[in-house]
Amino acid sequence: MTPIPAPETGIEPMTLWHALAGPFIEYPFMRRALVACLALAIGSGPIGVLLLLRRMSLVGDAMSHAVLPGAAIGFLIGGLSLWGMTIGGFVAGLAVALLAGIVSRHTSLREDASFAGFYLASLALGVLLVSTHGSNIDLLHILFGTILAVDDSALFLVGGVASVSSLILLAIYRPLILECFDPGYLRSVSGRGSLYHLIFLVLVVLNLVASFQALGTLMAVGLMMLPAASARFWARQVGSMMLTAIVIALLSGFIGLLGSYRFALPSGPAIVLTGSIFYVLSILTGRRGGVLTRLLATRHLTG
Amino acid sequence: MISTPVISLENLTVTYDRHPAVHHVRGCFQAGSLTAIVGPNGAGKSTLMKAIVGLLAPAGGGIRYAGIDRRRDVAYLPQQAEIDRSFPITVADTVVTGCWQEIGAFGRVTSAQWRRVAEALSAVGLDGFGRRLIGTLSAGQFQRALFARLLLQKASVILLDEPFNAIDARTTADLLALVQRWHGEEKTIIAVLHDFDQVRACFPQTLLLARELIDWGPTEDVLIPANLLMMRQMAERWADDADTCSRNRD
Amino acid sequence: MKKLFAALLIGILAQAAPASARDLNVVTSFTVLADMVRQVGGDHVHVRSLIGPNGDPHVYEPTPQDGNALAKADLVFVSGLGLEGWMDRLIKASGYKGTVVVASKGVATLSMREEGKTITDPHAWNSAANGVIYARNIAFALAKADPQRATDYKIRGERYMQQLQALDSWAHKMVNAIPAYKRKVISSHDAFGYLGAGYGIEFRAPVGFSTESEASAADVARLVDQIKRENIRAVFLENSNDPRMIRQIASETGAVLGGTLYAEALSAPGGPAPDYATMFRHNIELLVKGMRGN
Repeated sequence: MTPIPAPETGIEPMTLWHALAGPFIEYPFMRRALVACLALAIGSGPIGVLLLLRRMSLVGDAMSHAVLPGAAIGFLIGGLSLWGMTIGGFVAGLAVALLAGIVSRHTSLREDASFAGFYLASLALGVLLVSTHGSNIDLLHILFGTILAVDDSALFLVGGVASVSSLILLAIYRPLILECFDPGYLRSVSGRGSLYHLIFLVLVVLNLVASFQALGTLMAVGLMMLPAASARFWARQVGSMMLTAIVIALLSGFIGLLGSYRFALPSGPAIVLTGSIFYVLSILTGRRGGVLTRLLATRHLTG
Repeated sequence: MISTPVISLENLTVTYDRHPAVHHVRGCFQAGSLTAIVGPNGAGKSTLMKAIVGLLAPAGGGIRYAGIDRRRDVAYLPQQAEIDRSFPITVADTVVTGCWQEIGAFGRVTSAQWRRVAEALSAVGLDGFGRRLIGTLSAGQFQRALFARLLLQKASVILLDEPFNAIDARTTADLLALVQRWHGEEKTIIAVLHDFDQVRACFPQTLLLARELIDWGPTEDVLIPANLLMMRQMAERWADDADTCSRNRD
Repeated sequence: MKKLFAALLIGILAQAAPASARDLNVVTSFTVLADMVRQVGGDHVHVRSLIGPNGDPHVYEPTPQDGNALAKADLVFVSGLGLEGWMDRLIKASGYKGTVVVASKGVATLSMREEGKTITDPHAWNSAANGVIYARNIAFALAKADPQRATDYKIRGERYMQQLQALDSWAHKMVNAIPAYKRKVISSHDAFGYLGAGYGIEFRAPVGFSTESEASAADVARLVDQIKRENIRAVFLENSNDPRMIRQIASETGAVLGGTLYAEALSAPGGPAPDYATMFRHNIELLVKGMRGN
């Protein structure tokens, strides 16, 4: 194979603007990747915050396994059709999330335990289906995309999901927050407490599956949970936590893509690692409860 | 003063796993009354309260509400445990949810309502606490905040489940004063309490419960040695070998 | 005593007489090889391919049925050159003790880079010229294992080799009709080293775009730049990979999606590459069309 030369940097001098914006101006695939990050940030950022506050942080990772039987059935019915497998994955993820939610509501089993039970069942079912019917094509590898390969339909998917999800979240914001921290009160003033919880689960699955398909699991879960965890150290209230998470997610995407371009790092890991760096920085220097911040806070107030 | 029953318990039985926590209780709360529910541990006091609010379904008998809507007109303050105090939300945002009946899930909060929030916080002695996060409040301060929320609910019936547990004396006194004010506004108040001196001093009516109703009426008639003796004799443990109750048709 | 001796003699002679010819059970590693063996072997050779259509011969998880088939096989064919790394263990486990024929014996090998290391390129069959060598080896091996039908195999083998020679000449003709500077394509899998070298087509495989690792933005940018600069007109998908990355590159550069090339597996019987000869013809046709830029 003949070697491929380094990317062209054009003839302008390396100004800061050029360094930061150049790749995005020059290459449509970089622009699309950035827009995909924006959609991911807006859609998944607030959801990640709520998952974090409800102690459901590992749901994202579990969901990447739970979608398998749905994708397998989608493959069996429609072959290697991306949409078929995505819809199948969504149905499977939804089934797991809703069953787990209902069981945790009506039995003594807590949310995380009931979720673990159902997602494992789903994963086993998926492996069974693939082993007995699939060829040796790695289904999930086909289903899970990568950010550099985001085409128009994938962009439409994440963008559409982000828009719909944000609108719904805004609409049910108050009851959803109340359901998070005082479900008893919500139950006593409104009959529909469970409904808001189930809507939330639907939004979680929607965002995750759309992000899996367009961007792959590492980015989908990474940019859902890491910015939320970082935001905890900067924002006071849940509302500003959500906005902070969106900003951090977008910054991680932007910086990660730049790093992937300048230093030839694989894109998904570069973005998520940037998110992790933000996370560590937040733990150390965050305004609210950062480790170093607390250690260095020597001067106290008069009252 | 003509007294009208607002909540009537009709042969009410509430069970956990078929064991009766509230067993064949009958009687009624009068409108505007100030009633304390007292009894030993495990007597079913919280259970009774939850049944009145509608969180538990009766296993036998029923509850009748006269002239009020259970959801709109009954406000309930549970014991503290169920609220996640680590949630990053301010006192004001917590208290304003008291306006739920007016704005529902989707309505906008008006500036008039925010003013009422400020007034309620003042009334409970939490002036200026609006912007504080609920996680930064002491137990007593948080209880005051919950009372402020109750104020906003504009309910005509108020149920308080052990409202002064592990609360400092000053907060208790302030909140009791608030309760008296409500009583003056002719709200019906029912509170589960442990401190008999408190009950004797502030609550004209008492319901003495030890799974079965021991006595219900004016406090000075109920809290007599004979009743208290019966109360202490109630076994706390449920009988593992109990038969099916045959008193269903009383 | 005489009768006994006579009986013994007849018995010995009976053993030496030619036994009624039994059909041959052959197992091959993957579908391309299976087809070639069938073409040369004819009706009396039953061929089973371990990997099915559209499968990936580099990574394969054998099933217990595979072990069974191997145990009962008379002859086993592999392509060799390091393609079927999983085969040795399977053969040992199955207890097959017969010959394992390496069909690529005698091929002039090329090297390639994979995961940072330089190894022998195993995809020899993608050039028809090498296909002729495969066919010869197959015919020879079948004749040796089944001497009674040796003549049959020789005749069929010759015929098949001629067919593949003709294909080879045809391919040369087709490719030479295209001006030299246009003979470049992008393909997502570098299984076409021998095809490229044999017919003078330059295959660019995107660096880092393998099934395991993830590409960097720099890699994609580089590739896009080069396609634009050198005016490469066609981009080809491979039938067992994620097509989205390649489609993205094609749309960004204006290159045309040339279709799916078949490199390591035949398609299903109704598909465009149901046997080796058709597969080769299909690949050349698509490549030529793509390079021409119609």
